[in-house]
Amino acid sequence: MTSEPEPGSQEAAPTDIDALMRAVADGDRDAFADLYDAVASRVYGLVRRVLRDSGLAEEVAQEALVEVWRTAARFDPSRGSAAGWIFTIAHRRAVDRVRAEQATVDRERRAATANVPCDDLIEEVTARLEQQAVRRCLRTLTQLQRESILLAYYGGLTYREVADRLGTPLPTVKTRMRDGLIRLRDCLRVSWG
Amino acid sequence: MSDIHTLAGAYALNAIDDMDRARFDRHLADCPACVAEVAELTETVAALAEATAETPPVGLRSAVLDRIDRTPQLRPETRRTSGRRPLPRRRWLAAAAAVVALGGAGAVGYVIADQSRPDAGTRADAEARRIAAVVGAPDARMRTTATDGGRVSVVESPSLDEAVAVLTDLPAPGTGHAYQLWVIRDRTPQSVGVLATGRTDATELVSGVRGAQAFGVSREPSGGSTTPTLPLVAQLPLG
Repeated sequence: MTSEPEPGSQEAAPTDIDALMRAVADGDRDAFADLYDAVASRVYGLVRRVLRDSGLAEEVAQEALVEVWRTAARFDPSRGSAAGWIFTIAHRRAVDRVRAEQATVDRERRAATANVPCDDLIEEVTARLEQQAVRRCLRTLTQLQRESILLAYYGGLTYREVADRLGTPLPTVKTRMRDGLIRLRDCLRVSWG
Repeated sequence: MSDIHTLAGAYALNAIDDMDRARFDRHLADCPACVAEVAELTETVAALAEATAETPPVGLRSAVLDRIDRTPQLRPETRRTSGRRPLPRRRWLAAAAAVVALGGAGAVGYVIADQSRPDAGTRADAEARRIAAVVGAPDARMRTTATDGGRVSVVESPSLDEAVAVLTDLPAPGTGHAYQLWVIRDRTPQSVGVLATGRTDATELVSGVRGAQAFGVSREPSGGSTTPTLPLVAQLPLG
């Protein structure tokens, strides 16, 4: 990780992204170019974080962004923001790729990647959080809540893998992911509201 | 009930395998409160994408814009206006097929599952869930072709290694004849199912499509043939 994060000021506000998304759903290619500029750095960065490979990340980010174009009319604004929808598509694509690759690599290699220390991942990501609110709110979680969420999201792990990695029982990890996200949601809601 | 509900966090984080996802999707169909919770948690998770933003490679923008010029958009799904009552499971197959049919050519067409098999209840349910999973997969791709007044569509999900074939309003195959479905791999057609004699509509799950080049429909004597009779009634590329 040598690149700097995009300055927050270059990101379009959520409402702009929603408006762009509506135009994209109507087949507006210029609006899609603007939408690209608004979200590409977050889409690419997220995919690269999960895949840990720039070449692969470029390919998967491209697929995800084309998917956004292709399925734009299926986006339902009553179910959340356009940005949230776009990052979900990108994350899902990256995670699917990780799992497809994992299915083909041998056990030794799997064991080797399993040894990447999770503390490093968590510290690095937390340090890069531009948005003060998110960083502050993450600090309100318990360590287990935070670790479960960050390992799953940035590491592309399933909750079973997170449980293995943390040496924590499965039901506990499942529960911590949920109550951790609920606490994060409530904290962010207060900050943004 | 409460056990499955705790999956909401893992679900929002994409931290579940396909089996759990399918299980939870079923749960969501019966639990409007969970839909709302998942929407909020997904939104919360999206805030985490800020942390990893980084300038994409220079070529990405032009590559994406170039590709969207060649990529048609899907039509919107039809919305149910009469409240948000979940569908009974039996009807998922029809609903999934309707999504395919509507997305395919914009025409209205419902394809009803064949429930005449002896154990159709449980088998159709399991199949319906898998069909819904393919149609709803984020990497689902659909191709459609018109044929003699009818239509053949295939929705394919590479990640699930499955496809859903929807045949709508094909011409009657004629007395003692049936439509047969094929997957073509390395120029070799492999039968993936034969419809009942005379049947002109179907929704079929096709497993193991990875590496296949095409999907085909042929008209055969009842019960099917070992190799397709040419010319094919319809053919669509896969992959």
